[in-house]
Amino acid sequence: MGHVVSIDNLTKDFGKFRAVDHVTLDIEQGEIFGFLGANGAGKTTTIRMLCGLLLPTSGTGTVNGFDIRKENEAIKRSIGYMSQKFSLYTDMTGRENLVFYGSVYRLGRSALKDRIAELEAHLKLSRFIDRLTGSIPVGWRQRIALAAALLHRPRILFLDEPTAGVDPVFRRRFWDILYGLADEGTTLFVTTHYMDEAEYCRRISVMHDGRIIEIGEPQALIRKYNQTDLQETFIHLITHFDRT
Amino acid sequence: MSKTRFIIIKEIRHILRDPRSLVIAIVMPILMTLLYGYAVNLDTKNIKLAVVDEDKSVHSRALVNSFFQSGYFIPSLSAPQINDLEGVLRAGHAHAVLVLRRGFSEAVRTQEPYQVGLVVDGSDANRAAAATNYSNVLLFDFIRRNVSAPTVRPWVWISPRVLYNPDLRSPDFFVPGLIAIILMMISALLTSITIVREKETGTMEQMMTAPVTPKQIIMGKAIPYIGIAFIDGLLVILFAVFHFRVPFEGSYLLLAFFGVIYVTAALSIGVVISTLVRSQLAAMMTALMVTVMPSVMLSGFIFEVKNMPLPLQYLSMIIPARHFIVILRGVMLKGVGAPALWRETLALVLLTSVLLGIAAKRFKLKLG
Amino acid sequence: MIQTILALIVKEFHQIRRDRFTLRLIFLAPIMQMMVLAYAISTDVKYVYTAVYDYDQRELSREFVRSMSVGNYFIPSQSPVPLLESEENLRTGDKNVNLIIPNDFSEGLRNSKPVMIGFVADGANANSASIATGYANLIAFQFSERLSRSAFPVVLRQRILYNPEGESVYHIVPGIVAVLLTMVTTLLTAMAIVRERERGTLEQLMVSPIPIPALILGKIIPFAALGYIEFSIALALGVAWFKIPFVGSWPLLYGLSLLFVLTTLGVGMLISTMTNTQQQAMFFTWFFTIYAILMSGFFIPIENMPFFVQKLTYLNPLRYFMIIVRGIMMKGAGLESLRTEVLALVIFAVSMFSFSWMRFQKRAK
Repeated sequence: MGHVVSIDNLTKDFGKFRAVDHVTLDIEQGEIFGFLGANGAGKTTTIRMLCGLLLPTSGTGTVNGFDIRKENEAIKRSIGYMSQKFSLYTDMTGRENLVFYGSVYRLGRSALKDRIAELEAHLKLSRFIDRLTGSIPVGWRQRIALAAALLHRPRILFLDEPTAGVDPVFRRRFWDILYGLADEGTTLFVTTHYMDEAEYCRRISVMHDGRIIEIGEPQALIRKYNQTDLQETFIHLITHFDRT
Repeated sequence: MSKTRFIIIKEIRHILRDPRSLVIAIVMPILMTLLYGYAVNLDTKNIKLAVVDEDKSVHSRALVNSFFQSGYFIPSLSAPQINDLEGVLRAGHAHAVLVLRRGFSEAVRTQEPYQVGLVVDGSDANRAAAATNYSNVLLFDFIRRNVSAPTVRPWVWISPRVLYNPDLRSPDFFVPGLIAIILMMISALLTSITIVREKETGTMEQMMTAPVTPKQIIMGKAIPYIGIAFIDGLLVILFAVFHFRVPFEGSYLLLAFFGVIYVTAALSIGVVISTLVRSQLAAMMTALMVTVMPSVMLSGFIFEVKNMPLPLQYLSMIIPARHFIVILRGVMLKGVGAPALWRETLALVLLTSVLLGIAAKRFKLKLG
Repeated sequence: MIQTILALIVKEFHQIRRDRFTLRLIFLAPIMQMMVLAYAISTDVKYVYTAVYDYDQRELSREFVRSMSVGNYFIPSQSPVPLLESEENLRTGDKNVNLIIPNDFSEGLRNSKPVMIGFVADGANANSASIATGYANLIAFQFSERLSRSAFPVVLRQRILYNPEGESVYHIVPGIVAVLLTMVTTLLTAMAIVRERERGTLEQLMVSPIPIPALILGKIIPFAALGYIEFSIALALGVAWFKIPFVGSWPLLYGLSLLFVLTTLGVGMLISTMTNTQQQAMFFTWFFTIYAILMSGFFIPIENMPFFVQKLTYLNPLRYFMIIVRGIMMKGAGLESLRTEVLALVIFAVSMFSFSWMRFQKRAK
């Protein structure tokens, strides 16, 4: 299979609670895939299983061709991850953070230096890169966190609500950057609550109570459910499935 | 007043739902009482003694026996080498080595000059002094019993009598002090944590916009903790009296009266701390540093204040626990009444008023 | 792998450099605590205020009272309070001992009859009371010897090793050094790791290809270094200011303290795997530290504790390190003498890290 991510009946139980219920999904290279769902639907749990942070209860999957059950360490070398918290060391500068993460991903000294310069230029980080990340505006922290995830040129990038709490201008610019990455061949797996962002994705899936209740291109889904925009489509889907 | 009541109820709910507070309020006092009651014992007993007996006579064995029967010495873990007595001391297997060379029995019979050797590990000066003293006394005693007509006359005897703790039990000394420590800990720690918690979560601000006065807030927060402090104090006293059999000679009412003053002081400290720090973490650490540590170290709880250098003795004066511990020991062990405790009462009341004043001022300042 | 570990150390360094609280903890804490503790902790018996009731009032009785005051253990003074109310003195704590000399003291001694002196002690502080009684006995016997102008031939000849001056500070300060090391290393490690978990940076590392040994070493090395710095400061203070003797071998002490630091770091790590918030971490660390200190022989001799509690002390790494520090500093003990303690610490270090390793899985189940 040429799919960058391929999962089959992935399930995760926490005791009696089924957080992820037989999820099956295929993602192609270069795709921007939007992973939507209400709070507590199981999105973060799914991502954690794909990143090798959590062992699935049942089901199989591969990321970049590596088995998520047995080869999870190999997966980590070729993926990038950006969590909701923008996990940066707030008592270190942006540059210090990048140098650190770069070394963790085994970039050599000079290669790292060049790469940081490259990212600094590309993402326009110069103004804030040498300040403590704890004291810069959220939007810039987000950019530096993205840079950290891109240091090792991952083939696929997992982004868990990367724009939470960021103003609309920054959000739009962020997505411009993401498009650029997709054009270069990086696959993007993004969760978000902002429906306007979801419309940027090539395909989206909607998750509810651990199951995927719909998957497809945003415009196609809007037409299918006869709604005016993605937000209405989403609400329609959720309320329809919320029989309890 | 009814507004205060609501704050009290809210506070009690917080406490019941926060496992951490419950641990501090209930588990820790019990654990501390057990620990200090059992483990803390500064008597110099059970000194590990190694014996080299080259005389091997009835007399020498009797002497060695008397050493171990006294309760002061216990046999060491390993036997010393004759040519390296220090070895057992260096390894810590013995605290002292008793050396009886040949000729002891004869010397006792014929009253010839003879030296009983004692090599002592001096690193713990207290224990060394005790070992030396006890050995001397035991030797004298042995001679008195075994020599019919000693040449040393006349004898001056000490007839000792111990009051207030005739069995010389350690718990009687430590457990009353423990009450002071626990009360201080709970009151100061919990108060500062709870106030800061509201600051952290922003609910303090919320309350400020409501029609409640600072006084009502403080009282509402303080009263449940006074209640807890009293319950804990009672718990420890019950434990002390029934489990450790510490006597309670004096008046409960008197103790309760002083207890209220003391707890007020502790709560004031808690409030002051809460105005100085921003996170629960810092509140905890500061409370521990500023209240518990000095109360344990400098209040006379374990270490005698009069033995400390002057500057520390002065410092000890402003530690409320110091005065309350004198009161506790006096009332519980000796049945002392209020008049005898006028100095401590004065000190405690003074301290409490000052602390209360500072707390009130700072709290109003922070809010206004 | 080495590059990763170096990167981790550099990161830790950056963070510590900017962390005011930790810096203060490492540099100020030893000084402050040592100063206060060393001076406050004293279990010597001194200044026993003695009320003297001398019903003999003659040369001999006065001489006896004088002999009691030698060495400042007893501070005798004639009591203004009549004998009937003398117990009130003890009750209020004004006096610790009432000394009662009968009116036939001098007469009895001159006629070579034994005489008895009353000694009523306040037993509230049991330790002081028994030691005071012991001293009094000693003084009485020495007084008898002097009177009879002959000494009994069979005497005790004591030789006090390692601290002939009898400074109690020599026993306490090495203990403080060990205690400080424990507190700092355990607390810092536990807090640092939990902070990372709270902030999400730990998860970020879990998602990276970093090997677990690198992660662990990346924490051990900087914190061990910090512990060493603290240790050295405390030690320097002890030797320079308190003039604690240092008879043994420096390299041995540093080597063994490294071993000890590994155990406390291990405990800190273990605590961090069991807690989720910084507060919980602080709490557990605090708990551990208090019990470690109390049950280590620091100021309460282990032999004094009840049997069951004594057995518990075998589970306390500080117990062994206390023996090591005191042994090396004051007695010049070598590896030979400290065999058991070293072995115990090795077992501890290995177990702590094994536990931590097992709990530090990068992938949760």
